[in-house]
Amino acid sequence: MPKVMNWQIGREMDYPYEGKRPDAQFAMIIDTNKCISCQTCTVACKSTWTSGRGQEYMFWNNVETKPYGFYPLGWDVNILSRHGVQDISGPVYAGKTLFESAPDGTMVLGYLPEDVDYANPNISEDDSVGQMDTGGFLQMPHMQWMYYLPRICNHCTYPACLASCPRQSIYKRPEDGIVLIDQSRCQGYRECVRGCPYKKPFFNSVTRTSEKCVGCYPAVEQGRQTQCTMTCIGKIRLQGFISPPGKEREDNPIDYLVRIAKVAKPLYPQFGLEPNVYYIPPIHVPSPFLKQMFGADVEAAQQAYRKAADDNKLLSALLLFGSTPSIISGFSAQNGQAIAVNKKGEELVRVPFKEPIFVRPGFDEQFQTHRSNAT
Amino acid sequence: MKRMFSTLFLAAALGMCVAGVSQAAESAPESLQALRVSGKGPITDVGGAIWSQAKAVKVAMQPQVVAVPTNPTPAIKEVTVRSLHNGEWLALQLEWQDYTKSDTVVVDGFADQIAIELPVVYDEKSPPSPMMGNVGSRVNVLQWRASMQKDLDRGREMKIQDIYPNAPDADLYYTDRLSKEAGQPYLGAKGLGNAVALQGSSPVLDMMAEGFGTLTARSQPQATGKGVYKDGSWHVTITVPMAPAGENAPKLAVGGKTVVAVAVWDGGSQEVGSRKAWSDWVNLSLGQ
Repeated sequence: MPKVMNWQIGREMDYPYEGKRPDAQFAMIIDTNKCISCQTCTVACKSTWTSGRGQEYMFWNNVETKPYGFYPLGWDVNILSRHGVQDISGPVYAGKTLFESAPDGTMVLGYLPEDVDYANPNISEDDSVGQMDTGGFLQMPHMQWMYYLPRICNHCTYPACLASCPRQSIYKRPEDGIVLIDQSRCQGYRECVRGCPYKKPFFNSVTRTSEKCVGCYPAVEQGRQTQCTMTCIGKIRLQGFISPPGKEREDNPIDYLVRIAKVAKPLYPQFGLEPNVYYIPPIHVPSPFLKQMFGADVEAAQQAYRKAADDNKLLSALLLFGSTPSIISGFSAQNGQAIAVNKKGEELVRVPFKEPIFVRPGFDEQFQTHRSNAT
Repeated sequence: MKRMFSTLFLAAALGMCVAGVSQAAESAPESLQALRVSGKGPITDVGGAIWSQAKAVKVAMQPQVVAVPTNPTPAIKEVTVRSLHNGEWLALQLEWQDYTKSDTVVVDGFADQIAIELPVVYDEKSPPSPMMGNVGSRVNVLQWRASMQKDLDRGREMKIQDIYPNAPDADLYYTDRLSKEAGQPYLGAKGLGNAVALQGSSPVLDMMAEGFGTLTARSQPQATGKGVYKDGSWHVTITVPMAPAGENAPKLAVGGKTVVAVAVWDGGSQEVGSRKAWSDWVNLSLGQ
């Protein structure tokens, strides 16, 4: 089996295909600290892509409450338990990836969810890790916690769905790294559903083929960010492209946040797929849980994020989330503003570090009424 | 990436093919003889009197352990095969024991399936690999699916309630409000004409292959058939024209010879794709 370089685990690993990176790699950053699980992204995705027969319970984008929310049920604990205890302590991953753990006669360690696992897409919404004792809400940090995890396909550099498909019906586009299932070739074997640890290929029981997030490729081809990014009312997402390892550009906000400031982390990097959706970890959640989910150096990311207000560059990159429907290629901080440009260098948007404050009198003379909001 | 992968598989497949031939020499199955019967058109009869004269051949099924994912312990060990032809159409009747009738497909539910393959061009001295042919030596694969038989027997388009009886419809299906052309992108595989997604025309997929992972629907599919589940067994007839339209299907002559191989999947054991049982080539002669 060929060896490929996975920068997220700091070493080479086995993968069934040679390690050729696409010309550009689709990537997304999601700030979990700002997500309120309003599911606007989910609805935007659903009404755009999965409105057909057989897609009734299919959510290419979902938002689940961690630690007890899952879609499909138990997706991560199921694969983590099969994966077993792995050494995730060092910068170079000492454990085995899912490809290296593949049982004989298979490409990747995986499992097939049960049909009923998809029946409750928002199970355990808002459940925290335990009961809050009397007075507990006054303590810092909180004794109990939960957070929201929005999820789409990770458009992995080394997709397990692609590796699992015995008839090469899944391909990774060389122009943008988006991973697609060819609907004219899929025979509905569900090897991709079994192989993907994130359980983001879904089986459509009416067409009897597997379907997955398409990275809103028609929008991306036009330089527009995905539906789930553009419609997010909390402006928690940024979608663009990540550069290959060693070719980071400091003015690319995705490169900057992931590789330079290192505040955004991949989801379960120990699986070995090099996923390209990155998460700013929740700062209120205990690090032992987050280390398993986002990697060993998650505490440094939490600390950097806490100090973002004092770091103009980091602040600029974070302020550009949800600020423009166009894909941001470059950014800078100038005169108290974050400025974004597209790949042609044309200015897309300016976001002030501090919103101007306008104070109005509490009483409106024109309408002879009191104002409920004076600022 | 794909090319390298295919090359590796082909090398493995050819290696296995050689091993398979030598195994077959030790215990070659009986030959099939397609008796000529009267009539015209496709022979879709299952279990009727027409089959009483046809010689039954028991074909041993082997685990598929070459292509990944493998199936080292397949559920079905033997398939009984009979053959007939009417000068226009060839038919094979396949019967096997299966105590779990599986014809509903959901994410963890798989349908029973059986397939036959025929070399597109039969060369007695160098037949294609029985494992889905090889580059330069194509096979015609004809796969009957219990789920597609159910679609045909239902006589109408499948609805979500056919799988989940208490499921409500979505508030709006765009395709119900749009023209056929405008609604096509919302139909996924069905909109693209993927044969596995189309329902109601034939329970048999008419395909070609030239090695693992190459299975492709023929542009002019003609094969059809019928499957009946009775007393713990499937009885399936697959029929093909002897003078097929289009490419990648064999032209068969009265009095001629070819070979046929069988693959079978037990849905109840989650067998699908390469997780199957397969047979070596069985000689087939077409009676005068």
